[in-house]
Formats: sequence, C-alpha cells, structure tokens
Amino acid sequence: MTQYGFYFDQNRCIGCHTCSVACKDWYDIPAGLINWRRVELVERGTFPDLFVAYTSTACNHCGIPPCMKACPEKAISKRESDGIVVVDREKCLGNKECNMRCLNACPWKAPQFGPEEGAKMQKCNLCLERLEQGKAPICVEACPMYALDAGPLELLREKYRDISKGIDIPGFKKFYPSLLLKKKQK
Amino acid sequence: MLKAHVKNGKIIRFETDNGEEPQIRACMRGRAYRQRVYSKDRLRYPLRRIGKRGEGKFERISWEDALNEVAARLIETKEKYGNPSILLVLGAGNQGMLHGPAPVVILLNQFGGYTRFWGAPSYEGALFASMATYGTIKTGSAREDLLNSKFIIIWGMNPANTIQDPGTSLMMARAREKGIKIVVVDPIYTDTAAVFADQWIPIRPGTDTAMLNAMANVIITENIHDRGFIEKYTVGYDKYKDYLLGIEDGTPKTPEWAEKITTVPAKVISNLARDYATNKPSALLAGWGPARTARGEQYSRAANVLTAITGNVGVNGGYACGFMRAYSSRETILPGKKKGEKPQILEKKKQAPKKLRPQDNPVDFNAPPRENTLYKLSGGTNPVNTRIHNSKFYDAILKGRSGGYPADIKMAYIVASGFLNQQANVNYGIKALKSLDFIVIHEQFMTPTAKFADIVFPINTFMERDDIAVPWLGSPYYIYLNKAIDSLYESKSDLEVCRMLGKKLGIGPGMLDLDEKQILRIFAQPRKDIKNFNKMKRDGYTKIKVDEPFVAFKEEINDPENYPFPTLSGKIEIYCEHLAEMNNPLIPPVPKYLSHDEHYDSPKAKEYPLQLLTVHNKRRTHSSLESIPWLEEIEAHAALINSIDAKARGIRNGDLIDIFNDRGRIRIPARVTERIIPGVTCVYQGAWYDPDENGVDLGGCANTLTKDDHSPGGAFYHNSALVQVELFEKQHAEVSK
Repeated sequence: MTQYGFYFDQNRCIGCHTCSVACKDWYDIPAGLINWRRVELVERGTFPDLFVAYTSTACNHCGIPPCMKACPEKAISKRESDGIVVVDREKCLGNKECNMRCLNACPWKAPQFGPEEGAKMQKCNLCLERLEQGKAPICVEACPMYALDAGPLELLREKYRDISKGIDIPGFKKFYPSLLLKKKQK
Repeated sequence: MLKAHVKNGKIIRFETDNGEEPQIRACMRGRAYRQRVYSKDRLRYPLRRIGKRGEGKFERISWEDALNEVAARLIETKEKYGNPSILLVLGAGNQGMLHGPAPVVILLNQFGGYTRFWGAPSYEGALFASMATYGTIKTGSAREDLLNSKFIIIWGMNPANTIQDPGTSLMMARAREKGIKIVVVDPIYTDTAAVFADQWIPIRPGTDTAMLNAMANVIITENIHDRGFIEKYTVGYDKYKDYLLGIEDGTPKTPEWAEKITTVPAKVISNLARDYATNKPSALLAGWGPARTARGEQYSRAANVLTAITGNVGVNGGYACGFMRAYSSRETILPGKKKGEKPQILEKKKQAPKKLRPQDNPVDFNAPPRENTLYKLSGGTNPVNTRIHNSKFYDAILKGRSGGYPADIKMAYIVASGFLNQQANVNYGIKALKSLDFIVIHEQFMTPTAKFADIVFPINTFMERDDIAVPWLGSPYYIYLNKAIDSLYESKSDLEVCRMLGKKLGIGPGMLDLDEKQILRIFAQPRKDIKNFNKMKRDGYTKIKVDEPFVAFKEEINDPENYPFPTLSGKIEIYCEHLAEMNNPLIPPVPKYLSHDEHYDSPKAKEYPLQLLTVHNKRRTHSSLESIPWLEEIEAHAALINSIDAKARGIRNGDLIDIFNDRGRIRIPARVTERIIPGVTCVYQGAWYDPDENGVDLGGCANTLTKDDHSPGGAFYHNSALVQVELFEKQHAEVSK
C-alpha cells in the first residue's frame, strides 16, 4: 500500500493562515469551530529572549489511526489505495451520541464537529478529489512559503532527505502519523 | 493571483497561481475575498442621507436621482465657489489600473479640476528621503538578490504580515536557510523577526535615526567605511562626519549617546555596525514604518546614507534602501537612461509652455512649487502649492484660505478611501466633515467615512469588472483581472458611474465613453512589458522574463561617467544642497536625529507616558476587509502591551482597556505580551471607528489617537503618538493570538 501524507516545515511557517483560509474557501466551511487545517501559535520566553513558532496541522492520516479504533460505529476507515483516513458521515452517530470519541483519541485534534446538536464528524481528506485529478491539496498549493507539501510518503522522504530520520512527533511510535515535520529549533 | 470558480453566475471557490514559476500565490486576504464579495453588508443601492452626518441613516434612491443630485451639487459648487472648492479624496481601497480613482480623475479634470492632496501616509517620508539622496524612487533590488548578501538587516519591516510583493518572505526564508545572518530591528518581535531573524534588536520607536547615526559613527571612527566608494560616488561626506563626530554641535553621535535614546546597548549597536560594514555585500532593508513618524525623513535618509558609506549601493547582495521600487513594470518607457543623458532638471524644463493634457488637473496646472519641496528634481511628489498635505485636510476644511490653505473647501468627492478612519485625528475629522456643504462617496460598504456622505454610490468589486492589477514595489508581472461575475445588486463600476455622471455634467463624449476593455488597451499600450494584450487577458497574467535579478544603480556604479545619479550633483547626496537651500531645521541637509512634540522625551510624556504604534496586521489591508469572518478568526482584535506596563496598570490578558490622549479615547481588549518593547503599546491600524454616546471609540480605530500633522518633507505622525492606558473591565475577551 502506498501511504500518502503531509510535509510541514515549521521553520518557514509565518503564521499567515493562507492554508487554513484556502481550505475553508475550497470546502465552503464558515468561520467557527470546524477547522480541517489549524494554525497554532507557540510563544515562550520573557522579553527580549523569546521563542515564537507556528504549527499548521491537518489530519495526519495515521498508519494506525486512533480515531478509527475509537469510533463505535466503524464510521472511520483507511483507504487501501493511498492510506487516506476518511469518515462515512452516514454511519457517524454525531457529537452527542458518543461524546466525540474520535476527537478525544486524536493527539492532533483532527476530527471536527460543528456546534449544532448531532453534528457529524468531518475532517481533512487530503483533498483526495484533487489528488485524483493530479492536483496538490488546496493548502499545499496555497502556501506562499512552500512550507507544506503532500504526496506518497516515500517520495516526500526522498525529496526532503534532511528530515527523514529524526521524527520526534509525540505519539509517533504509537500511531505512525503520515507527517514529515521539520521542527523549528531554538 | 486568484482564479475564480464560477457556477450559475456565482463564485464558489478560488484557486491561486499553480502554473509557471515564479508563482504569484495569493495571500490569506485574497483567499478570503469571496466573503467580501458576498458579504451581507455590501451596499446594494444608491443611498441618500436622511439622518445627521455620521449617524448612518440613509434612504434608498434611484441611480437617476443620485446622479442628478451629485451633478447639480458639483455644478452649483463650481459656479458659486470655483473648482478649487471641490476636494477630491482618492484612496487605494478598490483600485486597479482603470477602476477606483482613475475615472473620477479623468471626469473632474474635464470638469475644470479640484483641490487635491499631496503626501501618501504609507511612504511619504521614505519617498522624500529617496529623492533627496538618490534623485529617484527606483532604488530597490529584486527579492532574489537577497541570496547574494552576506549579511541582512531588516529594519522596521514586517513582510510576514504585510507581504510587500509576493516572494519577499520566501526569499528571506531561503536566505536564512543558506546560512546568511539576518538581524531584525523593530520595537515588536514581529512574525518576520520570529521566523527569519538570528537576532532581534528591540528599539524605542522614533529613535531609529539615532541608532543609524551611531552605526555610521562607529563605521567611520573604526575606519571600516568604503573610502573609494565615498570619493567616487557621493557628495558631502565630510559635513555628515562633522555632525557624527560632534564637530558641528558638540555632541558626538556615539553608541553610548544612542543607547540612552534608543535603549539599545552600545555594544549591540557597535557590533551591528561592524557586521554590516565588514560582511559585504550586506543588505539593509529599511522599511517604511519608522519613516511614518514625525521626523521620518531623517530615519530614511540615515539608512540611505549608511548604505552609501559602506559601498553597498549598485552591487548584487547590497541594497540602497530609499523608496525601494525595484523592477518597475509600471514604466512606460524603455528601461534605463540613454548613455550620456544628463538628469532632467525641472527648473530648466519649466520654461517651455505646456499644453493642458487630459491627465492634468486644471487647478494644479502651472502652479508654482510649494515650500520645502525637491521641486528641481524629476519624479517624487507633485510639488505644486495648490495641494494640501493629506494630514491637513481637516484643518484646511475648517480654516480654508484664512488659515493659510490654498482653497476654501465646500464639498468632498471621495473614491475608494476610508480616510476618516485612516487619516490621523478622527475626532477632528468629524468636525471637518460635518462642516462641509456636500459629500459624495464611491463605496462598497457603509464605512465610518461613508456615514458622513450625502450620497453614496454603491460600487462593484474587481470580480465584477475587467481591470489590470499593477504589481506593487518591484515584481516583474501584471495580472489581468477578468470579470468573473455580473455586478451584484444595483452596484456599478467606477467607470460606469463616471460615464453616467459625465453625461449629466455635459462632459464628453470622451475616453470614459469607451468600452472598459478598449480603455484598458489604451492604458496598456505604452507599457513596455505588455507585449501581447490578448494573451495577457486570456492567461490572466503576464510574467516578464528577466535575465538577472534587478539591482538599482548598477549602471551608475559601473559607468559613472556616462550614468550620473539623477540628483543635482549627479552623485549620491549625503549632504543635499537642495535641502540646504530650504534652510529648515526639521529637514536638515545631512540626516539628523530630531525629537518632537509626540516623542518619549517631550513634556507631554509626563501625562501620556506610552508611545503608540499603529502598524498593519494580518486580517486587514488598512481599513479594507474589516468584518470578514475567515480573517477575523486568524488574529485577535486587541492592542499589544508589554507585561511590565500591563502589570503596573493591573491589566491582564483579555481585559478591556482604554487607550487615550487629548485627541480621543478607544476601548479595546489587551493582548499582554512579551513581544513588544516596554513603554510602547500597539493598536493595529484599520479597525473601524465606532463611537459610543460619550465619544469613546469602541471600534478601536488607531487614528482616534494619532496627530494630524506632518514633517516639512511630508512624513506622517502615524507612529508618533503619546498615550496613556487604563483598565476598563476585567476578563473581557479571549486573546490568544
């Protein structure tokens, strides 16, 4: 099986949110609770010795997805062909019924629920329709810093050799997130 | 670049440039544009004011009625008071090569003219300094050329948020990845500092010139200046040296002297000076923010001169500062000067009688130069004395000729401008706008400015018409904006409005009556880089192939005999004779650190001890894109305040605070942060003015607090205002970014 995933270079991320805004525009998701891609700010230190970085995270389409295991209805599955983790919204019980077990199981908070009662899970599907058309995911194509990439993990590892070894993402060994992360060092 | 996907006449989503490199990728504000086009707040119909000015009460009227009323008022004002009594206020809020101000300018020129402004708040200080030093604004280099530098200083510039041409941030990232050391000098630990800088040097606002002077002092006294370059290409070095060494005024501009002013340790200043002068080629990118201060020209002049005394002008990897226009696809002539051509000196040219052209404003035509202008130089700001400085509109409206202004203003015609919100001193502006006989505005939203209009014309967006987007500072491309959808509601383009209004005024037929594509063809025709209009329209862009990255002044440096600098001396003017002739101590012939009435050391600072910055943020472009939900959620609406200043006032993150001075008071959530130098608070400019019954601005408009004044060279006060801060209400908002 080919496993598709993301590449993210934290050293390049300027926190502009172009990725997340482009995602919302493409999938017509209003501002608010649902964020398939999230840009988070990390700030540490005291004036003038500071560390500031941004992290852009979507769904990591894990090798062993904790959300899949947590779902009582088997609504979440992993595609044979590309390893993309998808949700069958017909099967999903909604936010109240199972208390969003998938979201609670995910270290990256990828599963998203709207505020309304019974809202069903939705999340990043790696723009699989765009991938099928030979296009990059909308966030990747949007990033003005070329800090994001996506594709078969093997190819990404080949392309970004400098980070192929040291993946120090929490939960990596448990879930095998399909993410190549180039972390910002102080 | 945006590519709109349209279904059943409606834009459903955007993509950006995914074609040939370099791609022109849209920023977050562009990606959110669909929410602007389809905002529930879009103006739908022509409106006539029925409430008081500023109250926001309007009635829907027909286009016919709206046009008749505006035409009648224009004719009446012209007949009673003359054309100079019509004030034309132009902005860039909704502007392409054709739409926005251009058709109104064409129309009103034909109508006999109007009083206009001089001075752009964004960059007037930097522009003046660029002209005084180099005689031109074309002083920048292509962003790619940063990769040829050995050392980079980014001073008062935050492209991570402001963009300043696509590729700017990307090239800074690549320079860092290449191992080039980058230092950021800024009162704020900006995203630019956070992502690109090896070292951040926080500096007290408005003291940049002191630090640059001290750096020059170190470079000269340690003999690491470029003597050969100075001799060959500059004039007036010795006079600047006399100022730096204290021979002129008894005060040597040492790093220790500058430390007291800037709060930057003397050792840090010396080291930066040494690194900059000895790791050549080195690039100093002096942004416009610090030039947007009461004596902003001096900062920009000092930066320009520093690049010259270290020989970093006209070489790959160096940078000349100045206005920083690089490759200019705006140019209508062939690039470069002809060999041996002497710079044009306007004084001599003026002898020949001129003929009024359609682009000339009859009110300005043949008017003599203003005081304190570089009128002998070609380019820069139009120097005629019929114009009013942008920051002095309100004073001019209220005082007129008896106050020393060139006209008695009776009506205002406003296009693509939220100027009440974006010009300094909103409360004074309200008095002025209330005093006018008539105001008409072209707008898309009911802005704080539009609320004062008598007639509001609803204007469409660039998705609803054809236009050409001209790149900003120096990128080699044009974007053709093909119309994607029909105009929404009853909105019309600026061209359509002016065409209809022209008929009512008895003007025409003329250029405005042509089809918009025909006009665009005429506008594009003299542009040297638009070689195939049809292809550009079909592709939606034209990318200009350049052999090597543009670097300003290469010819002047490589062949000075045949390519003099376009200054009066033909050289880089460290000492500027043209400035000396003005004999004005606020714009001296060599760059000097000067204090002023809104500075940290002025007597006013006892009452208002904090310095206010009014910089750009991520979620707006000036006052445009306010209330766009996708953008609102990326950054909190809040003022930055250092934890030390917050603690002293009992303020915690998310509390509601009042920021005030003798010009006004705003109420805004506090973002308590380590990312700003103590003694300074920052209110992002552009939030919409929204007063309560006591006149407290609950919208948090920065210009409720800024001073409506300018330096003689034109620099604005937007980053020079003293304020006090106090707690209003605890735990008001969640402020996390």
